[in-house]
Amino acid sequence: MSTPQQDPSQQDVEQPSTEQQTERHLLGAVPRQRVRTGRLDLRARHTGRLRAAFATFTGRPLAPYQAAVARIGFGLAWVGYLIREWPNRRVLYGDRSPWSAELADRLLAENHAFTVLPWFQGRLWFELVYHLAILAAVLFTLGWRTRASGAVFLVTVLSLQNRNVFVGDGGDNVIHLMAVYLVLTRCARVWSLDARRGRDGGAVWLWLLLGAVLAAGPPSWPWLLWLVAALWWSVNRWRPDGEPRAVLDALATMLHNCAMLVIAVQVVLIYATAGWYKVQGSRWQDGTALHYPLHLDYFTPWPWLSGLVGSSLLLVFLFSYGTVIIQVAFPFTLFNRRLKNLLLALMITEHLAIAVLLGLPFFSLAMIAADAVFLPTAALLWIEHRVRGSKGLTV
Amino acid sequence: MRTWSTPALVVLCATGAVLLGGTALFLAALFLHSAPSNALSQQYRTELDAVIYPEFEQNWRLFAPNPLQQNVTVDARLQTIAADGTVTTQEWAGLTAGDIAAVRGNPAPSHVDQNLLRRAWDFYDATHPAQGNTGPRAGLAEQYLKRIALQRLGPAAGGVRLFQVQLRVGTAELAPPEWSREQVDSAPKYRELPWWPVAEADLGGLW
Repeated sequence: MSTPQQDPSQQDVEQPSTEQQTERHLLGAVPRQRVRTGRLDLRARHTGRLRAAFATFTGRPLAPYQAAVARIGFGLAWVGYLIREWPNRRVLYGDRSPWSAELADRLLAENHAFTVLPWFQGRLWFELVYHLAILAAVLFTLGWRTRASGAVFLVTVLSLQNRNVFVGDGGDNVIHLMAVYLVLTRCARVWSLDARRGRDGGAVWLWLLLGAVLAAGPPSWPWLLWLVAALWWSVNRWRPDGEPRAVLDALATMLHNCAMLVIAVQVVLIYATAGWYKVQGSRWQDGTALHYPLHLDYFTPWPWLSGLVGSSLLLVFLFSYGTVIIQVAFPFTLFNRRLKNLLLALMITEHLAIAVLLGLPFFSLAMIAADAVFLPTAALLWIEHRVRGSKGLTV
Repeated sequence: MRTWSTPALVVLCATGAVLLGGTALFLAALFLHSAPSNALSQQYRTELDAVIYPEFEQNWRLFAPNPLQQNVTVDARLQTIAADGTVTTQEWAGLTAGDIAAVRGNPAPSHVDQNLLRRAWDFYDATHPAQGNTGPRAGLAEQYLKRIALQRLGPAAGGVRLFQVQLRVGTAELAPPEWSREQVDSAPKYRELPWWPVAEADLGGLW
C-alpha cells in the first residue's frame, strides 16, 4: 500500500463487498453516501459523528497536559520519597530488612508479584536498583527519553515495593498503579525535555543497555516494552513516512486514550470508595471522625497542632462531614466544570492539611498528583504561561 | 482526516476493539474489587482475583467505615543466656514508643517509623484470628515480627547470646472528644504473646 491519501474523494470505491462497505463507511474511508431520505440523513449524521470519534480516538492523544501533570506529580512524589528514605533503604527493601530475602521469596512464590531484586544476591545489585530508581524517577519527571525512563520507573517502583509490601501506605499504592498506567500513555507530549527537543525518538545505546540488563535476569514482561521500543525505532528509521509509522502512531494514541481513561476512573474510584464506605461509619455520621486520627500516636507529629484542631467541635464536624460530602459527590461533579474545579481546590487543600497534620507528605503529594489529573487545561496553560513568563523558559 | 488502507483499517479496528473491550473489563474488575462483596463479584471471584492480584490491588477504605479508634502499642523483651547457662530476662522495651518518638516533630516521618512495625502487627493480627485456625501466612507474619523486635533490641543486649524474645501488645481506646457524652475506658489492655525461641538463622542481616 502506498502512502495514505489525504483526500477522501480520491478513494476508490468500486463495488466493495457489503461487509467491507459497512466497515469503511463507519470508519470514514469512503465519502458519505448521497442522502436520499430523512432516515438516511440521520444515518449519515450518525456516521459522521462516528467518523469524528474514530479520528479523535486514533489521531488525538487526549489530555496531554493532564498526562504531563501526572508524570511530573507521581515522579516527584516517588523521587522525594526515595531520597527521604535513602538512609533507611536497606532496612526497608534491602539486606537489613526484617522482611528478609527468604521471607520475601516465600511470599513472592505465592503471589507472583514482579520484582527484579531477587535476581541477584548481594548488596551491589540492591544499591544499583535503588539508585537507578532515583535516577529513573528524576528523568521520568523531566521527560527525558520518556519511553525508556518511564519503563525503568515502572520496573523500579514495582521492584522496590514488591520486595516488601508491608511498609507502604495508600500513597505507595497510588504510585504503584499510576506507574503501570503511565507507561501506556504519551505523557511527554508537553512539559518535557523530549518535547523541547522536538522528537521522541529512542537512543540505541539506551535500548541496548536496558536489553543487556534484562538479559541478565529471567524472562519477564519488561521484554515486551523493549520489543515495542525496537519496533518504533525500526519503523522510524526505515519507513518514517510510510503507513506502518502512521498505524503505530494511531495505536499508541489509542493506547494513550484508554490509559488516560483508566487513570481518571481510578482516581474517581479512590474517592468514591473512600466516600461510600464512610457514609456507613457511625463516627462519620456523628461528626467526630476527624477527632480520632488526630489522636493516633503514629499520625501526630505535632500533637499541639492536632489538639488545637481536634478541640474545636465546629471544625471537627465541618471537616468530617465535608470530607464525606466531597468524596461522595466528586464522581458526579465531573459533569459540571465549575463544581468540579471547586471540589478539586477543596480536595487539594485538604491533602495539604493532611500532609502537615498527619505527617504524610508523600502520601499527600501522590494524592494531589491524582487530583491534578482533573485540573482544567486552561488552568494548566495559565501555569505554563506564568512559568515561561517568569523564567523565560521555552519548555 | 487521514485515509487508511484496508489492512491498516483492519489492524486499527481490531486493536481498537480489543483495547476498548479490555479497558471496560479492567475498569469493571477494579470497581467490583472495590465494591462490597456482592453477587457478581462472588460469581466471578477467580477471574477478578486474576486481574487484580498482584499488581492492581485496591484498598481505598481510608479511615472508613470508621477511623481507627485505638492506639496500639507493641512492647518486647529479651531473654539472654550466658556462657554458664544463666538466663536473664530483660525489662520490657517500647518498640512503638520508639516509633512515636521518631515521628514527633518530624515533618516527613520515615516508613520505618510510621509503617514498618504498625503494619507488621496488622499483618500478624490478621493472620492470627482469636478463634479458629491461623491463616496460611501466619508463619511469615510471626517471623517478620520476631525479626523486627530482634533488630531493635538485639544491639543493646551487649553481645550475650539471645535465647528467647517475647512481645506484648497494648490496646488503648481513644477518648471521645470532650463535648461527647460517651464514656470510654482508655486504659491500655495488654495481651502477651508466647516466648519465641531465637535461632541463629533469625538474625541474618539484621545489623
